Amino acid sequence: MPIPSIIAEQLVYRYGSLLAVDQISFQVASGEIFGFLGPNGAGKSTTVKMLTGQLRPQAGQITILGIDVARHPKRMQARIGVCFELTNLYETMSGAENLHLFARLFGVRSFDADALLRRVGLDGRGKDKVEGYSKGMKQRLMIARALVNQPDVLFLDEPTEGLDPTSAQAIRHVIREEQMRGATIFLTTHDMHEADLLCDRVAFLDRGTIVALDTPHTLKQQYGQRMVYVEVLAPDGTLQRREIMLDRADTPAEVAALLQGEQVVTLHSAEATLEDIFIRITGRGLAS
Amino acid sequence: MTTMMLTALIAKDFKGYFANRFFALVTVLSLVAFTGLYFLLPKTVDETLALGLVLAGAPPALEAELSNADEVRIARFATSEELQAAILAGDLPVGFVFPDDLAAQLQAGTQPQVALFLAPDVPPEFVSIYEVALQEFVFLILGQELPIEVTETVLGPDMAGAQIAPRQRMLPLLVVFILMVECLGLASLIASEVEGGTIRALLVTPLTMRGLFLAKGIFGSLFAFAQAALLLLLTGGLATQPLLNLLALLAGATMVTGVAFLIASVGRDLMSVMGWGILAMLLLALPTLSLLIPGLTSNWMRLIPSHYLVDTLFRTLNFEAGWREVGANLLVLLAYAAVLMTIGTLTLQRRFR
Repeated sequence: MPIPSIIAEQLVYRYGSLLAVDQISFQVASGEIFGFLGPNGAGKSTTVKMLTGQLRPQAGQITILGIDVARHPKRMQARIGVCFELTNLYETMSGAENLHLFARLFGVRSFDADALLRRVGLDGRGKDKVEGYSKGMKQRLMIARALVNQPDVLFLDEPTEGLDPTSAQAIRHVIREEQMRGATIFLTTHDMHEADLLCDRVAFLDRGTIVALDTPHTLKQQYGQRMVYVEVLAPDGTLQRREIMLDRADTPAEVAALLQGEQVVTLHSAEATLEDIFIRITGRGLAS
Repeated sequence: MTTMMLTALIAKDFKGYFANRFFALVTVLSLVAFTGLYFLLPKTVDETLALGLVLAGAPPALEAELSNADEVRIARFATSEELQAAILAGDLPVGFVFPDDLAAQLQAGTQPQVALFLAPDVPPEFVSIYEVALQEFVFLILGQELPIEVTETVLGPDMAGAQIAPRQRMLPLLVVFILMVECLGLASLIASEVEGGTIRALLVTPLTMRGLFLAKGIFGSLFAFAQAALLLLLTGGLATQPLLNLLALLAGATMVTGVAFLIASVGRDLMSVMGWGILAMLLLALPTLSLLIPGLTSNWMRLIPSHYLVDTLFRTLNFEAGWREVGANLLVLLAYAAVLMTIGTLTLQRRFR
């Protein structure tokens, strides 16, 4: 594994009697897109708050880019970018003014707001007040704001939540560009499809603990069940659906019998989704 | 905390303040309205000596003498009760009531008692003048000095030291009000930043909590100070003791910024900020009432921080008080400003954490 950008060791955080994060440990490699997945209340936001220096862990240690976060939070924050789940822009300021403000807070002297706005698909809207933006535009501006300092580590909390497909696609494109630039991406989401599309590795968080951590492919191999879905034309003219499990000894014979004996209309294979695997591991869905 | 960060935050707060149309309007309107109000109020004090008189059986020569007096306006009353009612109604500042049997008492060689009734706002130094005037008056009636005994009665609350033009009396009140308007604006701005989550975004940058509060403190204090200084400038309040007055305003502005921090730490939204803000405004405006009604001045009012701002301005604007006279006031005001700013900052930081 390359040099880790993020090292979290035995992190603990309680809200009163509620144990939100229970001794979790993980590492994120430099340049990696790391998905942090779990249902609401699993402890994702609390973990991100600790990683970004907003909360101090009650136990454990965090090192980001080689910096001890507890000792030098501001030194670490100078090199990260954070995109929050909830929109928190200055609505009465323009998009460009929002970016310029944060550029100055990061000490960026020569800053091209137009170029950044163009990257997130907001070219020509920089002078408009944010209060007039759509939800997708605001989210793209949030991403742009997180990029003003060209961060080495980018924390994204549900970046495509509730967005139209075009906006979501634009944001995914920027995330991949940032990875190409060399940034490490820490992606918090409960959208398993998005994690599957973007992430090099994912961690499943449930009730404050990491229950699985690996690449999506490995997790699917380890926990998923590959299937063949077949649609056949029945004698009465209706379409009937058949499912055949792959990777079993009798699978070839079963498929051959179907092809010879039935009038096959469609046939395709499918692998388990991350959501299927999450349910299989935790026994509950992401909505719970 | 770099200068670039500081100026960026101050510029952002300035824009944010005026982006709120309500506070932008109130800021401009209050400055215009308070300045206008100042100039609408009377600028002079009536110098004619008006007095009431209850004197039975005055000789005709005396009546003629009294009616010819240029600078004395005498109103005659039949009874002491009528005279007192006129004083209480504000028609007259003072009145003399001679006993009905004045002549008989004088003939019998006894010392007549003359009652002197005073309006509440007659300055103490004027009382002795009225007593001398009374002696002169007796001399006018009888043609000789005679020993009389004067009993003084102040009707209503004692408003000693009030011979100040109304608008000059109002000016410290207007200053406190304009400072409080800025205080409410700042508190609302901070509350909206907390509510909107923008504070969180600011604090995951290299900006420290201390830096954030420094910027807000500087913005709040300078903005409130500029408004109040402009009011004094427009009303001529900086013609005397400008440095002293400006220092008092700066301390007052810092004090209300601390109050704004306190309000923002308890206010969850604009309505609750308004609720707490109006409460604070009423409290801080209380000392100004003692200027309007001097008899209301009580020792407990000295516990209210704004008393030292109001008292300082009142004395410098109206009595040409200097550093020596109001130095102690300024020190207490600065101490209050420091304490309120510290408490406000700590309380607000606690909320953010």
